[in-house]
Amino acid sequence: MSSKVHAAGASLAALLAAGSLQADETLTVYTYDSFVSEWGPGPGIEAAFEARCGDCDLEFVALPGGVDILQRLRLEGEGTRADLVLGLDMNLMAEARALDLMAPHGADLAPLDLPIDWSDETFLPYDWGHFAFVYDTEQLETPPGSFAELLEAPEEVKVILQGPRTSVTGQGLMLWIKKVYGDRAPEVWARLNERVLAVTNGWSQAYFSLFMNGEAPMVLSYATSPAYHMAVEETDRYQAAEFEEGHYLQVETAAMLRTTEQPELARDFLAFILTPDFQRHIPLGNVMNPAIDLGDERPQVFDRLIEPESLTFTPEEVRAHRREWIREWLNASVR
Amino acid sequence: MSGATAPQRWASRSRWPPGLGLAALTAVAGLGLGSLGALLWQARGVHPAALWQEPWLAAVLRFTLWQATLSTLLAVGLAVPVALALARRPRFPGRGLLLRAMELSLVLPTLIGLFGLVAVHGRRGWAAPLWEGLVGSESGYLYGLSGIVLAHVFYNLPLAARLMLQALETAPAAHWRLASQLGLTRATIWRTLEWPCLAPLLPRLAALIFTLCFTSFAIVMTLGGGPRSSTLEVALYQALKFDHDLALAALLALTQLTICLSLWLLALSRGGAPSLVVGSVSLPTGGRWRRRDALGVSRVTDAFWLTALAALLLPPLAAVVLAGLAGLPELPRQASLWAAAARSLIMALGAAAGALTLSLSLLTGSRWLKARRHGAAALLMEGGGQLILVIPALVLGTGLFLLLRPTLGSGWQGYGLVVLVNAFMALPFAMQVVRGALPGLSAPEERLADQFGIRGRVRLRWLVWPRLRRPLALALAYAMTLSLGDFSVIALFGSPSAPTLPMLLYQQLGGYRWQGAAATALLLLALVVLVFVLLGLWTRRPPRYPWNRFAREERHARVP
Repeated sequence: MSSKVHAAGASLAALLAAGSLQADETLTVYTYDSFVSEWGPGPGIEAAFEARCGDCDLEFVALPGGVDILQRLRLEGEGTRADLVLGLDMNLMAEARALDLMAPHGADLAPLDLPIDWSDETFLPYDWGHFAFVYDTEQLETPPGSFAELLEAPEEVKVILQGPRTSVTGQGLMLWIKKVYGDRAPEVWARLNERVLAVTNGWSQAYFSLFMNGEAPMVLSYATSPAYHMAVEETDRYQAAEFEEGHYLQVETAAMLRTTEQPELARDFLAFILTPDFQRHIPLGNVMNPAIDLGDERPQVFDRLIEPESLTFTPEEVRAHRREWIREWLNASVR
Repeated sequence: MSGATAPQRWASRSRWPPGLGLAALTAVAGLGLGSLGALLWQARGVHPAALWQEPWLAAVLRFTLWQATLSTLLAVGLAVPVALALARRPRFPGRGLLLRAMELSLVLPTLIGLFGLVAVHGRRGWAAPLWEGLVGSESGYLYGLSGIVLAHVFYNLPLAARLMLQALETAPAAHWRLASQLGLTRATIWRTLEWPCLAPLLPRLAALIFTLCFTSFAIVMTLGGGPRSSTLEVALYQALKFDHDLALAALLALTQLTICLSLWLLALSRGGAPSLVVGSVSLPTGGRWRRRDALGVSRVTDAFWLTALAALLLPPLAAVVLAGLAGLPELPRQASLWAAAARSLIMALGAAAGALTLSLSLLTGSRWLKARRHGAAALLMEGGGQLILVIPALVLGTGLFLLLRPTLGSGWQGYGLVVLVNAFMALPFAMQVVRGALPGLSAPEERLADQFGIRGRVRLRWLVWPRLRRPLALALAYAMTLSLGDFSVIALFGSPSAPTLPMLLYQQLGGYRWQGAAATALLLLALVVLVFVLLGLWTRRPPRYPWNRFAREERHARVP
């Protein structure tokens, strides 16, 4: 009787904690949840790395987004279970660096293929993309070719945005406008608000609940989004509008913790990031551009994406001004 | 037998109610205030003055108060005629379906609900051609204040009407028989029967719905079209996640806490009087007796209200189901779906059991105190159950994290924590459902039971349990389905690649898998319906009283 109860308890525990079995050497990676989903890049990368290292186990811990990874590190401090973090973008880098929890990656940066120069010794890029407005060609034949045109667009051209306080894409737009317009940003926000149908908290809600329902012809997303529609859904209906002012760049990075008990293995994983075995899962798994030149392995639809100029602030600039810029946006938008 | 009029005899005899109640209150207050305290303790400096000088904050607060008031008035006000119509018509084709739909809308994950609302009421929605035909302009009512209020009514009216219906059904059968025999008119029935049933419920219900509209519908608020219509929770999110400004977060949480708690105190002190109608064994009422007020003009008005309810609830749910059906072919390809569903169900069951235990403890404790004329303490104990509702999940999660940091290790503990927090979050809902049914026996029944020496466990088993059974099942169903659809709490703690159903849904959306996501949403809906149906069936069979063995006429003879 009691052994039955035990067995039931054990299988219950196994069901709840599936995937957290301990192998000899476990490498714990904090990342965001769409990365580890069964169709995301996570499973393929895990298999490839485990095949390479032999007797090790790569364990992903999924958090809702990059900001949550940073938040978790702040709360856990030196007691963190993570050996590596994967999913902090450039705009969170300075914050993460200030925690003084990261160690140098030691990887060779030669294979990197990014639109900007990269020499950071702590944060290693694994993919990149531009923020962009994706439009529905069935509702909008000629999209605006610049921010200026978007602000002047006719009444019915509505856009769906995400808020800079809760979403990475929303914050991207804030930085984008700040980069293009500088001190004139509050005025641009006020004018852009007349074009706005809704400001959502997260990307999923904007894209899935509103844009895919045909509620507005444009949504704030990534320049790479159309690649998914073209490659997997085999439709050219959704395309990204190229703005002549240039597009704000997002680079997503990985880093290892200095508190890790397995620095060797962690460094092996970081070196593995810039190999085709890791990168081939990125284009359609994460719907972003790979961080190295994949050659023929890059899906052909990526050739048909827009290739805009890149705009960036340094991570330190973002860290120093973000609160002030968010306040500026808030106060310009509630007027 | 002195004091035989006290209606809570079974509870007032024993010593455990105050102890249990106190333990539950300590747990709730400890969790809520503890997590808030942890934030303040970790915060470096608190500067309230700087916050109040921000123009956006005043704008957000004003708007939130306004939309929450409007939504509450509409949801509760419109729920009254709907509940009356449902009680007056105990059997019409589709009544069961309507009740199921009512249970669904509250526990629907907001993202799915919003999808349904957009599909029906959006600018390209099903209702758009109708609107354009009638009004002549493009349909844009989903965006702006009207959209927020519509969504809030969609979510909360069914809850209000469902609880009101339950209150109406607890009116003693004898009263309905009398009303039928006397041929009372609609106005008289309202004055003597219906209003006394509803009145004690209203303040609490309004406070609950106001709190829901004020706090936890950040997703709905985006329909407002800009930061003006956001809630304090969004500012809190930024403060905690991006800026790591614990002091600001605690301050915002305190603001929310103060506003909502003062409202709750007001509601509890108003609604504190015991119901005039003391419950009797609830036979399915109304229907047994011909109601004169069910004839004539009320045929038309009832038809109107029930049609309006159906028109509000069914199309958005149908949109979700249709989208889900289109995604069904994807189902077999999703390896993690069934494991996620099983995981979600187990966790929901745990959370619901916890919520029920807590609410019974708090309620019996509070009754015990009230019976001894400790009104203020009783109020505190009952009000304590609502505390978790006004503390943002984000603060709860972060505070707990700070408190438990050294021991929080594996994902296993993370799941335990999620179950715990979910139990506390479902507590206010469970309390609303159970509370109405908890008044013990009527005074004559008390006397009778005392004379026959039916006491203690026997009285609990045969006299109290039968009338608690159905509300308990409903409370269990609400609590289970609430945590089944919950995403906010589980997202706080993260998981080792083993998602629950709502997490899977978000992962699918994050990975452009609309079809799969729609199918997952459909499965979630089906599970919610299943929980309500199973628990409903389980408690449908009549209580096993000894006298049920006799003919029905004899059963009526027992009514004093």
